[in-house]
Amino acid sequence: MIRLMVWSMGTLLLLSGCSIKEVKPWEKGDLAMDIMQYEGLHPEVKKFEAHTYFSKEASRGGAGVAGGGCGCN
Amino acid sequence: MIRKILSTLLLTTLSVMALEQGEILPQPLQTQLKLEKDKLYVIDFFASWCKSCKKELPLIATIHDNNLTEVIGINVDKNREEGEAFVKKFNLKFPIVYDSDQALINTFKPLGFPTLYYIKNGKILKSIVGAIDAIDLQIQKDLKEFK
Repeated sequence: MIRLMVWSMGTLLLLSGCSIKEVKPWEKGDLAMDIMQYEGLHPEVKKFEAHTYFSKEASRGGAGVAGGGCGCN
Repeated sequence: MIRKILSTLLLTTLSVMALEQGEILPQPLQTQLKLEKDKLYVIDFFASWCKSCKKELPLIATIHDNNLTEVIGINVDKNREEGEAFVKKFNLKFPIVYDSDQALINTFKPLGFPTLYYIKNGKILKSIVGAIDAIDLQIQKDLKEFK
């Protein structure tokens, strides 16, 4: 019985060491921070960069993402 | 070999089990939340970073303010000061439990966030996972069913 328990605990430890820790729904506070947004804290900076890119390359667009990843667009 | 595999699976399952509808809260948890006998409680988990909570909490507060039932809010912010500021901002008058170490929510283990539980005599009668529109109307409808 003790051998079985030790074996089970060892397996669990081994498996948990190999796994990626799941982020629970209540642990997403850091992901919700403004600094985690795609465009950073200040969307104005992104606008400025886009303006510079347009001036230098005479081209715009291609930096955004359309749709929410559902494949329906 | 099969026994070993089964015992491993059982141990793994036990560690990820959530409290679900029909289950009884462990007695220490009932004591911690100060749940009284024969009273129906609405227990709402929320956090300051949760945008849906900002919409739902003022509506849930109306349930408490109109004395429809007992409401307990559980704030799961890791930084308690952020939670307290959030509660103050929304002027929540119902009892708030600060779960800064997230021990309570790790016991309930809801599948989504925010989550609301109806609890009577320690038993989970129903849960609402995720935000919904007009939560106050939904709670009023549920309360009629339970009473």
